[in-house]
Amino acid sequence: MVEATNDSVVKKMEKILQKKNGFLPYYIQELLAQKIVEKGLEKDVEDVVDRALEQYNKNMVDPAEACGIVAAQSIGEPGTQMTMRTFHYAGVAEINVTLGLPRLIEIVDARSTPSTPVMTVYLEGAYRVNADLAQKAANQIEITRLQDIATIDIDIENLMIYVILDEKSMQRKDITKEDVIEKIKKMRKVGVEDDKERLKVTLEEPGYKNLMLTVESLKKLKIKGIDGIERVIIRKEPNEGYVIYTEGSNFEDVLNIEGVDASRTKTNDIQSVANVLGIEAARNMIISEAHDTLSEQGLHVDIRHIMLVADIMTVDGTVRAIGRHGISGEKSSVLSRAAFEITVNHLLRASKRGEVDKLQGVAENIIVGQPVSIGTGAVKLIMGTQRRKK
Amino acid sequence: MRYTRFEKARIIGARALQIAMGAPVLIKVPKDMVDPVKIAMLEFEKNAIPITVKRKTAVGLPSK
Repeated sequence: MVEATNDSVVKKMEKILQKKNGFLPYYIQELLAQKIVEKGLEKDVEDVVDRALEQYNKNMVDPAEACGIVAAQSIGEPGTQMTMRTFHYAGVAEINVTLGLPRLIEIVDARSTPSTPVMTVYLEGAYRVNADLAQKAANQIEITRLQDIATIDIDIENLMIYVILDEKSMQRKDITKEDVIEKIKKMRKVGVEDDKERLKVTLEEPGYKNLMLTVESLKKLKIKGIDGIERVIIRKEPNEGYVIYTEGSNFEDVLNIEGVDASRTKTNDIQSVANVLGIEAARNMIISEAHDTLSEQGLHVDIRHIMLVADIMTVDGTVRAIGRHGISGEKSSVLSRAAFEITVNHLLRASKRGEVDKLQGVAENIIVGQPVSIGTGAVKLIMGTQRRKK
Repeated sequence: MRYTRFEKARIIGARALQIAMGAPVLIKVPKDMVDPVKIAMLEFEKNAIPITVKRKTAVGLPSK
């Protein structure tokens, strides 16, 4: 019912906008429609649109405004007040998350993996409310190695290894003896025998050194779970139900687990979001991650500055870093690159190749002492003999 | 055409320079007004300055 009126108000607005030859983003139109319906202002849609249009146009940034420089300073200044090193327990017991300046640097540098990858896995349907099902989903996610469910004994005399399985922890992790045998069989150059409470592992090439190496790889043998996810914590959140927090991140594989709500599950690994969900999702993540790390430290940066940074990082369809290895290093102007970092190398290479600098950017024009093409410097005047019409 | 604040500044600036160098004023100016910048601003308000801007389109080509 409310939806329908919202839509009809939006349609009405579109008509008014068309008549006035104005533009409002769809998101704003929707918000306005919602408010109009809420307050019962259906009669005054035209007035509302007028005022909204006025404000929207007034708040638009002028062409030739140095918005990049403003953004850089608006993020940079509060950045100086950030704590240099903060490791923080982000609400959840014992999960360590990099925050503050190191995290901000990480985001802007577009690292392939964050230094502390974490995920928040939301569940759907029955998994959300049923503790057993939530535990089951968590078991699918958390990596379980052989040493977690068994004690490994070495028989040096016979050059054999005994794997004594712990029934209790196996039950908790939902693993059967057959699963374990299957996994060990897949290892190279070993044989397995079922010996009642324990498993006998024999070597194809017996030897002391080989025995020790095999023990090590047995301990680390993955029985169940997803690579990269070292630990999970299940918590019951108010108004939500069970939520799984993980240390380590593997976005793609976790989304395939049964019971996981793929539409809400989050990771802090921007690069994998770009790979799995696409570049627009990555852009949104850069915005929200950067904004959250800043506001977590009590610094309020207008989101539009961060959006600009995220836009620049993602324009070409891949996530690129800001800085020497990313955007600044790929600028077409030699002088601009040289002004940024490693000046001599850039100038030397450019002179060897015979590069031409067309002096179109800001840095180049400052170097040669010309007005820059920003703000008033970007305006080209023409003298007319006639007076301007009103 | 609505001018951006940069364009306005440039137009007034250019006109003020002309006036300062002795160009004839194009409107009636109050007697006590001697500052060329003030005069240029008044002229701008009255749409009397014979200067416009050449704008570029979004892709950087000159507009028609």
